[in-house]
Amino acid sequence: MSLTARRSLRTRLLAAAGAGALVLGLAAVAAPSAIAESATPAPTGGAAGGKVTFTIGMTTDIDSANPFTGIVAEAYEIFQMMYPTLTDYSAEDFSTVPGMAESWEESADKLTWTYKIRPGMKWSDGQPMTAADAAYSINRVKNGRYERINYGSYVTNIIKAEAPDDTTLVVKLKKPTPVMLHLAIYILPEHVWKDISEADVKKFKNEPTPGNPIVSGGPFVFVERQVGQFIRMEANPNYWAGKPAIDEVVFRVYGNEDSEAQALKKGEIDFADSLTPNVFNSLKDVAGIGTVSAAYPGFNELAFNTGAALADGTPIGDGNPLLKDPKLRQAMAWAIDRQALVDKVLGGLGSPGSTVIPPNYPLLHLDPADPVGYDPDKAGQLLDAAGYKMGPDNVRVSADGQPLSFRLFGRSNSTTSKKSVEFIKGYLAAVGIQVTVTNLGDSPLTEKIGQGNYDMFEWGWVVDPDPDYQLSTFTCGKRSYKDGGTIYPDLSDSFFCDPAYDKLYEQQSTETDPAKRAEIVKQMQQILYDQTPYVVTYYYTDPQAYRSDRFTGFVPQPSPDGVLLFQWGTWSYDNIKPVSADTGGSTDGTAAAGATSGSGTSWGLIVGIIVLVLIAGGAGFGLARRKATDQDDRE
Amino acid sequence: MALVAEPAAAPTPAPSPARGRWGLGPGGRYVLSRVLGSAGTFVFVVVFNFFLFRMLPGDPISLYTRGRDVDQAMMRALRTQLDQPLGAQFLDYIKNPFAQTLDSVKYGIPPWDVILPRIWPTLLLVGTATILATILGVWLGIRSGWRRGQRFDKVSTTTTLVLYSMPEFWFGMILLIVFAVGVFGLPGIFPIGGLSTPGVDTSTPAGWLDVAWHLTLPVTTLAVIYLAEYSLVMRASLIDEMGQDYLQTARAKGLRDALVRRRHAVPNALLPTTTLIFLNLGFVVGGAITIEYVFSIQGLGSLTVDALDGPDVPVLQSLFLLFSGAVILANLVADLLYAKLDPRVRS
Repeated sequence: MSLTARRSLRTRLLAAAGAGALVLGLAAVAAPSAIAESATPAPTGGAAGGKVTFTIGMTTDIDSANPFTGIVAEAYEIFQMMYPTLTDYSAEDFSTVPGMAESWEESADKLTWTYKIRPGMKWSDGQPMTAADAAYSINRVKNGRYERINYGSYVTNIIKAEAPDDTTLVVKLKKPTPVMLHLAIYILPEHVWKDISEADVKKFKNEPTPGNPIVSGGPFVFVERQVGQFIRMEANPNYWAGKPAIDEVVFRVYGNEDSEAQALKKGEIDFADSLTPNVFNSLKDVAGIGTVSAAYPGFNELAFNTGAALADGTPIGDGNPLLKDPKLRQAMAWAIDRQALVDKVLGGLGSPGSTVIPPNYPLLHLDPADPVGYDPDKAGQLLDAAGYKMGPDNVRVSADGQPLSFRLFGRSNSTTSKKSVEFIKGYLAAVGIQVTVTNLGDSPLTEKIGQGNYDMFEWGWVVDPDPDYQLSTFTCGKRSYKDGGTIYPDLSDSFFCDPAYDKLYEQQSTETDPAKRAEIVKQMQQILYDQTPYVVTYYYTDPQAYRSDRFTGFVPQPSPDGVLLFQWGTWSYDNIKPVSADTGGSTDGTAAAGATSGSGTSWGLIVGIIVLVLIAGGAGFGLARRKATDQDDRE
Repeated sequence: MALVAEPAAAPTPAPSPARGRWGLGPGGRYVLSRVLGSAGTFVFVVVFNFFLFRMLPGDPISLYTRGRDVDQAMMRALRTQLDQPLGAQFLDYIKNPFAQTLDSVKYGIPPWDVILPRIWPTLLLVGTATILATILGVWLGIRSGWRRGQRFDKVSTTTTLVLYSMPEFWFGMILLIVFAVGVFGLPGIFPIGGLSTPGVDTSTPAGWLDVAWHLTLPVTTLAVIYLAEYSLVMRASLIDEMGQDYLQTARAKGLRDALVRRRHAVPNALLPTTTLIFLNLGFVVGGAITIEYVFSIQGLGSLTVDALDGPDVPVLQSLFLLFSGAVILANLVADLLYAKLDPRVRS
């Protein structure tokens, strides 16, 4: 920085003023040139020019491009665009469909699975993509300490994977498991990853450098990343399902949803998701923009401390023991107006909740036969019947005189959570249950829950298409554990423990017939629904918006109202195409886009000229004034 | 400036009577004491930095593994380092505070690898804005101070104060709506956010123009808001000098008013402004959280906010080391520059 250099103030000021003018001037000149130049990338986007770029806005950058490190949804989106899996989840209803494997077979003793791998596939660098790559990837996760963090649940029962030839993959198991139908381990190119040792894998970024794209087996090849700014991917000509119709996919990071919406309207991006209700509604009637409040596998819950204990049964924490009574929890479920929560907290973008497997998974979700609705009178009757009589100050008391007064925690960095807890407080107060609300950061709240120091909290889950993980959070074995004198949380955050439930959990974890397993999973949902460790308050949707004037061919998952992107699989990426290539009749959109860019150029020029004129004018004026004042002084 | 800033070139460099034990002149001693003072401050910061973030509540490992299938053995391995006794952790830390052995909890890579890609956008944004604001602010301050009470003074003082009192995110959003989104049928000519257009190579001149195009709105916002800080301080200290006898003398010698101002008044009025400039330069690396948010620039400000969420202690620790180091360094430079600007400081 030149400020430390010794120069007279005058030259410093002049030089700096020059620099200032330069920056402004640059900006002015840059405006038209950048717009003109970007005829291929973002601003014109769509089908203009030779290259078709599909740009997606997101508010979170990926945390890592290494599939063993990254955990945010945006990172998984990149992974599945690069790396295939043996089987895929169908766009229709999440049933199993062929992926890298075209067929598979379970042995009679259920302990050996044989996958037939598609012949003749190639990685993006031209190397053959075979069963050996699949065996390598599975064994790497199985044997790697770090590699197991993200994918450990898939390999628990695997002894080893072998590739006797290029098109055959054999996996040996310790015990039968339905996970083999959906082995969601990304198949990596062995010829690349064999050079990354187990010690180095943690620090491996898996990011491209100019001219060295990341070797890919999916529809797109990762070619460029600017941390915090964008990720650029190009179509993979060697993709086994055929090269995608779009040439390039760009993910751009925006600071907030409002910017995303503006960028979408302006045409800087073609797709935006996870929009807030306000932003989403503002986009609904904009010409050329399609919106969908897409079914999504997420739910939020009011969770109870059903008797905090370690996995071995040792009680912990200071939870109110009254909440061990399922009748009390059930009565509270009747007191909460879930439709109102959907309307007021989510702005209508969701539906009232029932069980812990969302209706997004039509094959697994249980629609309870006798649903719990909103009925404060019934809640009151249930409470009366269970011995919780109304006491003074409109607060009920238990049979042994304890007031129904509980602590409820919300999440301070979630607007919806903060709103929800206030509504819940009101609903419960109406039936004589007193609630004290505290909002905490995620980290302190996780700690509090793990140690059982709470009565109730509000949080949510996103459920995998395989229900195992979600269901495991209610098993006795997933309660907290003690290590070196400190209590740590495991997956359970309600401390629910029911031997009948655990038995069903074991059954479903070895049942490889999808229909039979679904039956067991539904029974488990019924138990949770009746025992009420959670009141599932709502299922939320993912509000997504896209430039319908530019791109078409999105494939929703599940059909017909599911998410268009950020799916399980690359269905939309495989199928979207520019509007103009679709039909001859709908070129309006493209023409409009071209027109915008044209006027942008001229406007940029005009403003650039104005800025330059202003600078010149200002300088001239300043000089003139100085002369004038100098004369004044002499007189 | 020329009058005060060249003591070494004095015609008769008489040996200083105050030459000390180590052969250092008063100037040398001044430099040494400043450098040692700054070093002491930095050592304190390094130590304090360690304990500060150990006091944050929370269980980052559980938070970042929520929703992942990590068995207890793996959790234990992940926790080993964070759960060491404080003394052992401190020894580990103090061996080399700049290259921590701990990885970022959230990203799983060394903290500096997380921080480095974010430094450049921050410097580009806040650095450019600070420099522009300094130059324009000092210029405005001199102009309006010299002609106190006249129209230029009234207009510029009021305008800069009004801009200064505006919340920066709000002003940024207005610029964004007018110039990036477009109003009244005008198309937005600047991008909504980011630092460059994907696909444009930023190492070419065309790429630089693209970056300048992206930076125009955020830099303008910050520079305009910071303006008053410099112009008001400069104006006030110049007014202080204006009654001084030496200016009368200079005028009596027949110097033009512009020369009196440039050679005599301004150099003497520059001291408070220098302090301010360097203080602010030290804070440049801290980023501008709200502006980063509004204009979608992923700088150190937003990284700090993200890291506090976990908390990602190793990243926070390195960030605060960087922030405090920058401020201490900038102050040291200001102190040393003082001695150059004003010989009285040395004695």
